[in-house]
Amino acid sequence: MAIFNLKKREIECKVVYYGPGRCGKTTNLEYIFGAYKKQVKGEMVSINTEGDRTLFFDFLPIGLGQIRGCNVRVQLYTVPGQVKYSSTRKLVLRGVDGIVFVADSLEVRREKNMLSLKDLQANLKEYGKSIFKVPLIMQYNKRDLADQGIPLMSIEQMERDLNRQLKAPSFSASAVRGDGVGATLKECLKVTLQSLQREFQWAR
Amino acid sequence: MDIKQRLKALLQEAEIYRTQGLISEAHDKYKSAADLIHSINKLKNKESLLKAVSEKIRALDSTKEKVDKGAETPELSKKAQDLIKNLFAFSENTDADSAALEGAVALAKFGQFDRAVVELNELLQKEAVRVEAAKNILRCHLASATVDEAISQYHEWFSGDQFQPQQLEAVRIYLDEILQKRGLTMDLPSAQTAEAALLEETAVEAETIVEAEEEFLDITSIGITFDKGPRKGKMVEFDVNFQSGNMLSLIISKQEKEVLEHLAEGMKLQDVQFFSPIAIFNGAGVVASKTQIKAGPKQGDYCLDIRIVSS
Ligand SMILES: Nc1nc2c(ncn2[C@@H]2O[C@H](COP(=O)(O)OP(=O)(O)OP(=O)(O)O)[C@@H](O)[C@H]2O)c(=O)[nH]1
Ligand SMILES: [Mg+2]
Repeated sequence: MAIFNLKKREIECKVVYYGPGRCGKTTNLEYIFGAYKKQVKGEMVSINTEGDRTLFFDFLPIGLGQIRGCNVRVQLYTVPGQVKYSSTRKLVLRGVDGIVFVADSLEVRREKNMLSLKDLQANLKEYGKSIFKVPLIMQYNKRDLADQGIPLMSIEQMERDLNRQLKAPSFSASAVRGDGVGATLKECLKVTLQSLQREFQWAR
Repeated sequence: MDIKQRLKALLQEAEIYRTQGLISEAHDKYKSAADLIHSINKLKNKESLLKAVSEKIRALDSTKEKVDKGAETPELSKKAQDLIKNLFAFSENTDADSAALEGAVALAKFGQFDRAVVELNELLQKEAVRVEAAKNILRCHLASATVDEAISQYHEWFSGDQFQPQQLEAVRIYLDEILQKRGLTMDLPSAQTAEAALLEETAVEAETIVEAEEEFLDITSIGITFDKGPRKGKMVEFDVNFQSGNMLSLIISKQEKEVLEHLAEGMKLQDVQFFSPIAIFNGAGVVASKTQIKAGPKQGDYCLDIRIVSS
């Protein structure tokens, strides 16, 4: 739920990284925190449980500077992927403006990806939002593991599993190496701001 | 692939899953590796290999136990709590007191009960949010401590002079209803004489109906009438453990197998009675989610979220 301050010409919006447990959501934010120093506007806050799994959320504020005469600030969040933290996921998703769905390329996580996407759809519906209309980007993460001979799904298969109907922009990534992390975020910010622009007509 | 290479690949895969925290996937691969080792006849170090693998499996089992248990909701640093208050209080343009109330409720939602209670107590000084603050204090006590604590809190308020009689009465009715639903009949002292009560009741009712248009009533329990299965036509009542707006959370014991089987995610419930301290109304609901509780005293039971919809 973006906050507009027309007098100060400021926008603050919310982007949430969603996906199954251990798919690399927190790793995405950690990479952004380290690599985009100029944009990062504060500390990254992580509230974790056993084994560095996210318990509540990660939070990272970034700033994009002036866009069409407006100062744009973005709050990046991750949700906890573990199935049992369902109510926290819902809470963190509230008021979301744009979503990055991080899917795990490991073959053994195929079903978990699909379940998590379904969970996202259900939670959005609770807030009266449609997964087809919300700004959404797909990220196929952990592509680097192919080098070590670990069975990964092909991009085609992941598109079929997860993106056949949604047709969201999608990116391959390796969050540990940082590959594709920036491209994913940039595209997400682009579609999110376009959607807010349509909704609020703030420019000019 | 040569059998030894296959073994090597399996072990490598297992090890990567383990380092990524994919416990059950790692477990499966180590199991397959163990089976494979068994099947190779002339393998040197067979015994020591098997031992190493079963050691890995044991370690994974103990990690799994820790993860399943999860940490108890931790008491967060003040900084993290402040962040939660800022980030998860949503209403815009409300007055300072309502915003403070929302911030305190956000803390409670993330399990930060101690600080939530401190802040809610401060809000008792504010006329406009006093009753809501009091109800949320009771909720915190009920969620984090015992019923006794909620009751003694009420008694404390009763003997004090902070509340107006009708405010206290609204709180009493609220608590009384919750206690009754838990099968407890406590004679909570009432701030009103019978005569005044009659007058107030109508006043309170009018007030709540106004409130209900913007916000949902506090619902303490719901009755669901089943339209099929062995309890067809019967109404079963459930306590509401938590409410946010039109979303009600119920905890249903794992013993209630039929009920749990019947109430599937996404199911529309056409005939639901909602019991609030002041009014009962009929409506419909949707089973928004059904999650098994993985840890704590209610382990194995289910948490059901039901969204109230207009029928
Ligand atoms: N090889 C590889 N490992 C990755 C990649 N991204 C994340 N990981 C690893 O996967 C594990 C889980 O990463 P997290 O970022 O904590 O996953 P998460 O999605 O935040 O997990 P939850 O908080 O439990 O939902 C860690 O061991 C990461 O190092 C990647 O692109 N490649
Ligand atoms: Mg995480």
